[in-house]
Amino acid sequence: MAASTNSLISMQSRSGMAASRICSLKPVSLSNQGRSFLSFGFRSMPARSLRVSCAAKPETVEKVCEIVKKQLALAEGTPVNGESKFSALGADSLDTVEIVMGLEEAFGISVEEESAQSIATVQDAADLIEKLVEKKD
Amino acid sequence: MEKGVRRWLVDTSKWNPAPHDFSSALSVLPQHERSSITRFLRMEDRKQALVSRLLQYALIHEVLGIPYNEIVINRTFEGKPYLECSHVDAGFPNFNFNVSHDGDYVAIASEPLCLVGVDVVCCIKPLKESVPEFIENFSSYFSSLEWDNIINTGTSDEILADFYRYWCLKEAFVKAVGSGLAYGVDKIEFHHTNWTNISAKVDGEPLTEWRFWLLELPERHWVAVARGHPRFATESYKRTISKAEFDVEDYHKGLNLPNVAFVTRIIEQVIPVSHGEEKQPEQDLLHLSSREA
Repeated sequence: MAASTNSLISMQSRSGMAASRICSLKPVSLSNQGRSFLSFGFRSMPARSLRVSCAAKPETVEKVCEIVKKQLALAEGTPVNGESKFSALGADSLDTVEIVMGLEEAFGISVEEESAQSIATVQDAADLIEKLVEKKD
Repeated sequence: MEKGVRRWLVDTSKWNPAPHDFSSALSVLPQHERSSITRFLRMEDRKQALVSRLLQYALIHEVLGIPYNEIVINRTFEGKPYLECSHVDAGFPNFNFNVSHDGDYVAIASEPLCLVGVDVVCCIKPLKESVPEFIENFSSYFSSLEWDNIINTGTSDEILADFYRYWCLKEAFVKAVGSGLAYGVDKIEFHHTNWTNISAKVDGEPLTEWRFWLLELPERHWVAVARGHPRFATESYKRTISKAEFDVEDYHKGLNLPNVAFVTRIIEQVIPVSHGEEKQPEQDLLHLSSREA
């Protein structure tokens, strides 16, 4: 859980305070740094820009981990956290569909097929869930 | 061209390697492949992944004669493996392959011209729900025709079997075109006569450029094979294909090749003894006949 908390903080600072970070750089290299920072962000996260704008709470990640562990019948003590990739946990296509349904039920949301396609890790799932929950409320 | 058509199976329940034997089999593969196997948490998954990779290298080596250390297998964005810099053989305009594993079996299929997809399913009873509850989760992935066929089959065992057979065929198609996970599974509708003469439609249009087969394996396993036109490949997979357009006559040469029976390989035949060599395949065990369910 510590890992996901750290990333939550760094993501918030990146999106909220990018401006102040750029301003602290020397004017000469300012525009270059700004541009390369932005383009790096876009290039590395083509289908997941939502990660930059809102990372999920640790409780959401924890709940997703629980649902995943249950669906895949993972042994007690199997390490599952935000960074866990569904594929590495041994989820096949049927498992993935059931996991998404389990998440839909648990959180009262509906996941579009296209969004489900881009979920690779537990964190991705948690981020998407929070985004959808937010839209609902 | 027939030489490019292969269907192999390995029963992994018969292989229970000690850690030392597992590592030595693993070391046969190039470095980047090893981490993609060891990242799996469960030993069972690692075993399947290892056998799956070994089969790919063994098949390419046998069919195309490329030395092991020159074989480069990459993956598309969706995760479909393909041979890099494929030595375009006049006999094999689009050599491509696909692997699948579930339960006790790992299967690999290759084709010289058409796209190929393979899927293995192990028909296990759901543990925490009834059969109708379990399959209901996936109802949106089936057409109403297919769904009616499934639920009206009879006993819950038969319902479950039909469910898995349809799913297996759908997955074989999706994997042939290079799609990720189950994306697109709901778009294809299968027609069959007691699981023979299998054909499919997409958006009501028959897929005349495709062939499908379903075979029963021991212990409630099934394996489906899909063979079809390269123009159906997803964008990212299409980039790995040498020839996506064919005139009708040439295409039919590939489409109508015999669908050979699955050959069972034992693991020792698939692990090269030393780099560039492996045990000769005369030790093929049984030829599974095309017993269709």
